[in-house]
Amino acid sequence: MTGAEFGGVDIDLLADYIGGALEGTPDESAVATLIADDPAWREAYEQLSGGIEVVRAELASFGPVEMPDDVAARVDAMFAPVPQLTVVRGEAPDGVREKKRNRRMRWATPIAIAAGFIAFVGFGADYLIGRGSDDSAADTASSAGGSAENSTALDAGIITKTTGTDYTRATLAQEPVEPMNAPKSSLGVDQSEPQRSMASGSALSRLLDPAALDDCLAAIQQEQGGSITVRSVDYARFDGAPALIVRFSGSAGSWAWAVGPLCGTPAGDADTITQVPVG
Amino acid sequence: MTSGDAEQGVAPSDAELLRAHVEGDKQAFGELVRRHRDRLWAVALRTIGDREEAADAVQDALLSAHRNAARFRGDAAVTTWLHRIVVNACLDRIRKRQAHPTVPLPDGNRSDDRPSGVEPAAPATDHETALLVRQALADLPADQRAAIVLVDVQGYPVAEAAEMLDVAVGTIKSRCARGRARMALALGELRGRDADHAPGGNQDATQTVPSGPGAVQPPPGGRDRRDQR
Repeated sequence: MTGAEFGGVDIDLLADYIGGALEGTPDESAVATLIADDPAWREAYEQLSGGIEVVRAELASFGPVEMPDDVAARVDAMFAPVPQLTVVRGEAPDGVREKKRNRRMRWATPIAIAAGFIAFVGFGADYLIGRGSDDSAADTASSAGGSAENSTALDAGIITKTTGTDYTRATLAQEPVEPMNAPKSSLGVDQSEPQRSMASGSALSRLLDPAALDDCLAAIQQEQGGSITVRSVDYARFDGAPALIVRFSGSAGSWAWAVGPLCGTPAGDADTITQVPVG
Repeated sequence: MTSGDAEQGVAPSDAELLRAHVEGDKQAFGELVRRHRDRLWAVALRTIGDREEAADAVQDALLSAHRNAARFRGDAAVTTWLHRIVVNACLDRIRKRQAHPTVPLPDGNRSDDRPSGVEPAAPATDHETALLVRQALADLPADQRAAIVLVDVQGYPVAEAAEMLDVAVGTIKSRCARGRARMALALGELRGRDADHAPGGNQDATQTVPSGPGAVQPPPGGRDRRDQR
C-alpha cells in the first residue's frame, strides 16, 4: 500500500475522518458520501483503515522506558537539598582586593577577592537558582568562624575561585559547593596551593591580571547589554578547554557564562563559549 | 493517568508536593520528579529521539518547572503541567535543530527533525514490522510525532494530550490521524522497498502521498482541521 495507489483521494482528509477529527462537522458526512459512492475513496478507506490499525497496535506495544541511571542521578542531584554548611579555605592574595576596589567598575558591588576555594560535592537547584544561596553564603561565613577575609568575600563582591572544574552545558548553571564534611581532595586538586597556581600556568593566566579581568567583564557586560553585577569568577574548564566561568545578574536575570582565554581581546569581545540562565 | 494515584492516601498528592515546594520544602520537588521521571523521560526520548538531547530537554524543563512552580494554577493535573513543559522543551530543541542544521553523519542516519534510533529493541515477534513502525514514527513531522507519542504510545486521553500540547482537541485528533496515515503509507512503502532490495531510508515516502491542498480531488470544505476544538 502506498500513497500513489490512492489517486484522487485526499489522504489527510480521509485520515481525519478515520481518526474522528471530522466528528460533528459537515465534512464528516461529505467524506462518508465519497466513501459510499466513489470506488477510489472506498478502496483507500478500506486499505488505510487496515494500515492504521496495524500502526496503532504496534505503537501501543512499545514497551515502557525508564530514565537511565546516569540521567536520573543528574536529575536527583539537581533537586537534592542544599548543604547548609560550607568551608571556604585560603586567603586573598596580598593587595589584590585593594587593586580591585580601586578598579571598581559600575557593574560591580564593592569588590573583594577571596581566596576561597569551594570544591564540588553536590548540587542543589535551590542554590543554583538563587533561592537559599544567600543563606548558604551567610551560613558559610558565620560557620567559618572568624575569617574576616572570607566573610567579606562571601557577603559582597566578586568571589574568585580556581576550581578547575570541567563544566558542561548541563552543569554550568550549577555552582560547586563543599559541605564541611567533604573530603579534602574531592576535586582532585591540591587545596593547599594558592588559588592562582592552577590558572597561572594555563591558558587562563592572562585573565589573572586584574586589568585583563576587568576588560573581560566589561566585554561580557557589553555583549549582555545593560549593567551587570558579577558575583563570581571561576578559573575552570568547559568541555575540557580552559574557561573562565562568570556568574552575574542583570536586567535579564542571573546568568552563568563560560568564556575563553581571549575574553576582553579585542575590547568588547567576550570570547563567549556558552551561556546559560540561572534562576 | 494523571497523577500519583498509587501514592495517594499514603503519600502526599502531586499537588500537595508542588505546594510544599512553593512553600519552601526542599525535599518536595525532588520527590515529585522521582514520581514521574520515567514517564517524562519516555515522552522526551520518543519525541526528540536523541538520548543526550532528551536528557538536556528534561533537565531544562524540570528546572523551569522548579522555578515557575508558584505560577501553577491547579487548573490542570500536575503531571499534565510537567508533561507540557517537557514536550515544549523537546519541540523547542527540535525547532532550533531545524533552524541550525547539523552536518549529517556519513551514514545519513541523522536528520534535523527525526529521532536517531534510540527506541528499545522490538519484541522478537514480527520484529520487522516493529522496526518499520519505529522508522515511520521517526520520520513524522515533530508535531504529529509528539501527538502520537502521547496518545498512541503513552496512552494519554486525547483531551489530556491536548492540554499537554496546549492545542485544541480537534488538533490532536487530526495530528494523530494524519500521522498514523503517513505511518501506514510509509510502512507499505518501506516494505515494498525492502522487497525490491532498494536502498534503505524513507526520505521520499511522504512525498508520494496525494494529500492536502495539492491533492487531485479537493476536500469538501477544504478546511484545515488543526485549529478545531
